[in-house]
Amino acid sequence: MQRAFVAGIAMAVFAGVISVFIVLRRVAFLGSGISHAAFGGVAIGFFLGINPLSTALVYCVAVSFAIEIVSSKGRLAEDTAIGIFFSASMAMGVLLISLSKSYTVDLFGYLFGSILAIGSGEAWLAVSMAAAVILIFAVILKDLLFITFNEELAVVNGVPVRLIKSIFLISMAIAIVIGIKVVGIILISALLVIPGAAAKMLTQRLYGMLAISCVIAVLSTMGGLVASYVYGLAPGGTIVMVLSLFFAASFLAKILR
Amino acid sequence: MNGVPVRPADSPPGAVEIEKLTVSLSGKEVLSGIDLTLHEGTFLGIVGPNGSGKTTLLRVLLGLVRPASGEVRVFGKRPEEIARTGIYGYLPQHLSVDASFPATALDVVLMGLQGRRGMFRRSSREEKKKGEEMLLTLGMAGYEGHLFGALSGGQQQRVSIARALIGDPRILILDEPSTGIDVVGQEDFYHLLKGLQKRSGLSIIMVSHDIGVITAYVDEIACLNRTLHYQGNPLGAFNEEVLKGLYGKSMGILMHDHLCDKCERLQPGER
Repeated sequence: MQRAFVAGIAMAVFAGVISVFIVLRRVAFLGSGISHAAFGGVAIGFFLGINPLSTALVYCVAVSFAIEIVSSKGRLAEDTAIGIFFSASMAMGVLLISLSKSYTVDLFGYLFGSILAIGSGEAWLAVSMAAAVILIFAVILKDLLFITFNEELAVVNGVPVRLIKSIFLISMAIAIVIGIKVVGIILISALLVIPGAAAKMLTQRLYGMLAISCVIAVLSTMGGLVASYVYGLAPGGTIVMVLSLFFAASFLAKILR
Repeated sequence: MNGVPVRPADSPPGAVEIEKLTVSLSGKEVLSGIDLTLHEGTFLGIVGPNGSGKTTLLRVLLGLVRPASGEVRVFGKRPEEIARTGIYGYLPQHLSVDASFPATALDVVLMGLQGRRGMFRRSSREEKKKGEEMLLTLGMAGYEGHLFGALSGGQQQRVSIARALIGDPRILILDEPSTGIDVVGQEDFYHLLKGLQKRSGLSIIMVSHDIGVITAYVDEIACLNRTLHYQGNPLGAFNEEVLKGLYGKSMGILMHDHLCDKCERLQPGER
């Protein structure tokens, strides 16, 4: 249970930070699309007998860059490209799973989270990855905000736009993969969107948004884990329900102000 | 080319020199055979109808678009070499910003120093002070902590100019800067630009669809519609041949100015 808390909090802080930018950059659908596409990456791991989380990570990074390329070269709206990769990846996942030998119990864990079964190695991996990415975000924060404000202006000003956008995409893929362990493929997109959205209801200052988003994500994760332990509920679903309640509360706070 | 002055061989190079520039976008020729020179310290207005390639021309100068053929030199260098070195202050076409976007007016002004500063350095106290001074110069003192998105169109414009100027650019590039600003605001704006030009010898290139208003302020005007129909003194643009070439039909000239008695102009305080 301790390991679950450690990994859960690491993921929550990470998700809290990235969620603010997912909301500001209006890429919630991208986050959702890549989260579900991760199913294809996990299935590749099952099929090849490799750790599914590592194949999922590589696959998610590849898909996020592929979406960008297809959308710009094919002159497609980004959400169209996302829709294509989202469904094609899930279809591939379904196919590969049906061809794999033993998967039922494991698969459930990837779809709905298996935080309580997390090993200590995995927990510390989650913590170190989260720490590394948060450090990187601390460096690129202002430039990422500038790019979100007006990308062309950032290019003209000499900001390394492509590099920073790539870092953002890779960070999102890492957040998704860590999140798969905690809340599962089906629900990870909630962690990527709801904390930032709730924070945006409550403040218009960037550092405030980041802080509130992280706090909400951490409290939801801890609260969800405790509730799931006490009442014997599925941790992933409980965490996201608590998160949704936080959003409802912040939404009410905003409209009643 | 008719009306385009030819630079004598021994005169000093211009800040911007464009020779036979041709640009194609999506297979369509958007600019064709453009010859244009801008001397340092000049305020150049570029006018033309929608789709005439005005914005594309700016984007070539900014290094965002590659020419299909022709030569472009900015202070002797190619745009992609010089564009990100802070030589430009750029005001893109007015894009609406989410009213709750988490950037204050000061944050936006300081964006003008990002990029060149490098990723690892933070805004220093001196930079913040400079940002505050820029806001003061632009008549926006006291607004440092206000959310940029919550400011009015004219206020956002002022903050954006502060952002464009904080890096001490040599060329200010403005793309339809008067969009979303009323006539009074526009005049204030052009006065401001003119003042800046005189004080610091700044070169200004401004794209506008409003041929009438800007002729009072610019030193030179360039009339663009895929090709350059005219470059020179603003008053010379008002002949039928140039306007026909630009806009494609015979036109009468309807001049509005603030003394026109056919327009209603509200005095301050009236509603």
